[in-house]
Amino acid sequence: MQKTVPKTGIFIFDQGKRLARSIDLDAVIQRLARIKNVIRCEVLTDLAAPLPSIKEDFTSDKFNRIFWVGKFSDYQKKTIQSELSSAGLNPYMYEWCDLEEQGIGTKGVDSGIQTQKAIILIQMTLARTRLLEPLEPLELPAVDASLIIGAGVSGLHTATSLIGLCKKVYLVEKESGVGGKVASLHRLYPRICDPRCGLEFEIQKIRESDMIEVHTLSRVKSLFGSPGNFDVRIEKQSRYVSEEKCNACGECMKVCPAVIPEEQRSRESAFINETSQQVLNSLKSDKKAIHPAVPMTYPSTFVIERQYCPPDCRECVKACPALAVELEQTSSELAFKVGAVIITTGWDPYQLSKVDEYGYGIYPNVISNLEMERLLEDPPVLKEIGFIQCAGSRDERHLHYCSSVCCSVSLKQVLFLKEKLPDALCYIFYQDMRTPGFDEELYQKVKSLNNVIFIRGNPSTVKPGDNGKLRIHAEDTLSGKEIDLSLDLLVLAGGMMPSQGSFEIAQLLNLPQNNFGFFESHLQCHPEESQRTGILVGGACRGPMNISQSIESSHRAAMEVLPFLNRTILIEPKYPVLDLTKCDKCKRCMEECPFLSYVFDENGFPSLDLTKCRQCGNCMGICPLIAISLRNNTIKQIAAQVQAIKPSFISKEEPVILAFLCENDAYHAAQSAVEYGLPVPPNVFFIKVPCAGSVNNALVADALAFGIDGVLIAGCKDGQCHYVKGNQLVKTRSGDLSDKLQKMMIDPQRVRFESLEIRDSKKYVELVKSYIEELRAMGPNPFKS
Amino acid sequence: MPPKIDREKCDSCKAEKESLCEQICPGDLMTLDEDKKAYCRMPRDCWDCMSCVKACPKGAIETRIPYQLGYHVAKLIPMMGTNTITWTCIDINGKVERFQYINRGMLE
Repeated sequence: MQKTVPKTGIFIFDQGKRLARSIDLDAVIQRLARIKNVIRCEVLTDLAAPLPSIKEDFTSDKFNRIFWVGKFSDYQKKTIQSELSSAGLNPYMYEWCDLEEQGIGTKGVDSGIQTQKAIILIQMTLARTRLLEPLEPLELPAVDASLIIGAGVSGLHTATSLIGLCKKVYLVEKESGVGGKVASLHRLYPRICDPRCGLEFEIQKIRESDMIEVHTLSRVKSLFGSPGNFDVRIEKQSRYVSEEKCNACGECMKVCPAVIPEEQRSRESAFINETSQQVLNSLKSDKKAIHPAVPMTYPSTFVIERQYCPPDCRECVKACPALAVELEQTSSELAFKVGAVIITTGWDPYQLSKVDEYGYGIYPNVISNLEMERLLEDPPVLKEIGFIQCAGSRDERHLHYCSSVCCSVSLKQVLFLKEKLPDALCYIFYQDMRTPGFDEELYQKVKSLNNVIFIRGNPSTVKPGDNGKLRIHAEDTLSGKEIDLSLDLLVLAGGMMPSQGSFEIAQLLNLPQNNFGFFESHLQCHPEESQRTGILVGGACRGPMNISQSIESSHRAAMEVLPFLNRTILIEPKYPVLDLTKCDKCKRCMEECPFLSYVFDENGFPSLDLTKCRQCGNCMGICPLIAISLRNNTIKQIAAQVQAIKPSFISKEEPVILAFLCENDAYHAAQSAVEYGLPVPPNVFFIKVPCAGSVNNALVADALAFGIDGVLIAGCKDGQCHYVKGNQLVKTRSGDLSDKLQKMMIDPQRVRFESLEIRDSKKYVELVKSYIEELRAMGPNPFKS
Repeated sequence: MPPKIDREKCDSCKAEKESLCEQICPGDLMTLDEDKKAYCRMPRDCWDCMSCVKACPKGAIETRIPYQLGYHVAKLIPMMGTNTITWTCIDINGKVERFQYINRGMLE
């Protein structure tokens, strides 16, 4: 490739002559004009007038890159860019240098020093400008379909919002019908409506759309590829009823001899009495081996659970008028391509039999809150009912967290129960009633009912009493009194835990999960983004949440998936590039990339999956052979910037600090320090980096070798890094360098890592000041010439 | 004198096959032991070229100066930048001398 000579035009924009007041602009111009290949160098006080002549100089090829010095408003930047790009200037051939944010113009600093600093700052950025190259964004082809795993309430809502946008959806569900846990609930709070009504509304949209394929009784078997182009294989178990022929007439169910036995918890018959028998009866289902899809009857095709069929029974085959029963059906596999994946695998109830003090699974009238939902459809006559909140939640032996919905659920159940059985006496044992937001209304409503008693403190024992009743011993921690009660029914409010499906998917896709097994995401800023690009998580597989929250979450996930479903994925030219001639396959970049963006190529070299990369530059920071550079911010450019600093510009004794600031927070802290007029010492130069983790130790070593007295690397606090762990990586690396400095008999504090938050501008100024004091005490860097 | 490895620092370059010191050693003396820590397998063959010291990204390798040049405590430590290299030379009396060079072309 022919190397173009970097001809630069430098324009110092001094609106309102603010710069001229603190520095000697003529001296700066004189100094700059002597530099080779600086074609035009002038001070502008207004933008509109000189812009046409700049444009003309560019079109007549006098210079091929422009370096703007000064403070520009976003509007001015946009005008300049649109004017010049219409003249054909590549948007990556600019460089901006705001002298004021670096501390030029701070009151009380000698004008000579400020002028010197301004010249150095301009030279730093000029060094970088020389190395600019015209860049173009990449457009990679992508498939505009998405895969949704789990057809519960979240999955359905995600699917309907995507088909509403005319995007193809593959919805995969392991049960025979859609609807998930929500379909098995009796009533929803706060409107006390039937959940099936809301679900049916979504299913209707699915029924009418030809943009969606629903695969029930299916599991994802493998998923390869990268965002925009995932190859999915799903395994579809046999349904034994043809989806094309079955019209759900129900003739088969009438003749089916096999009733599916109740999922039996070992209810010991010794404890069964009249009431508990009624409870058991209400919970019993008389589902046959051939039955409509569950939980919701979509798809409308029936399904046979073959393991319950009597041997050689062919009753259903004979009875079916549509000849839809196919007992010889086998499972099949299906492959397709999608651009993105949304996981909505939801939750499972915590196994209450593990909470052994309450006797769930032993006593027939101890039931879970999910079973209570079924019981509420037609409750038997009960007199005294107990509800235990936090059964296994907020408990270090079980779930450590609060599932956030169980309190409201129990209150709803009490409310509904009292409607049906107004004379029933309800006891609610709680640790703390947690009814966030408007659920408080529900709490107040239940509190105002007669014969509802709240007892703070969970029962210590549950034992069988007379006539099959339960004997409960508890302590009311508010009054300090011990209570003994005899109850007909005890409802345990069990918590939510990640579903079995979440664990399977996590293993399959190598997705990070938190300590509790819920999917890890950047909670506040991008709650639906998993740590794998192109894979989103919505609903309760992210953490305990109520139905409206999971619907919100699923719509957000549908929104965030859109950039992957555009047929092309646009990649900003800020991605890292690996120099293969230098790489020695140490694979440190692969290990430390927070998003697993690197894969091995056929020769064993790391190769970057551009669609997965989030352009944080941590690989650039980690590479021991400085073989990786961000496309628009190469290591060579930064090295040139570091080299342009003159460490004795104030005097040989006065320390000079180079700060690498993370552009997400530390940079803004430094910038606003100047805006607030805080006294920023002139001794500090900073370089903005995409993440503190992108600072390579070689750059720090360069800075020290050139005589800079202290190097400060500032990034996020632990756990706040946008790129998961960049701050920790750089902390370890700079620690290694400090150890080396100690061996070299140089003060290890010459390299420092600090955490700064976005509003820590005061802290930044204090930090710089105290660092300068420390460096003064240490004396000048021994490499300073 | 052969290189001394800080076993706590050495992370075997996270490599499955060859660590950086193993790749760079002109005598092919460096290798990983069963704990995946680098060591010099034939200390008497080491020429003290210090290539491994320069290559180690963790700063885990140190070489002693040959006794003909300086006894124990004397040290020679390189620090690699992108295109700079500095040497810190500490003699047996603790006298420190430092040198700094620019290696052009390292970034090309």
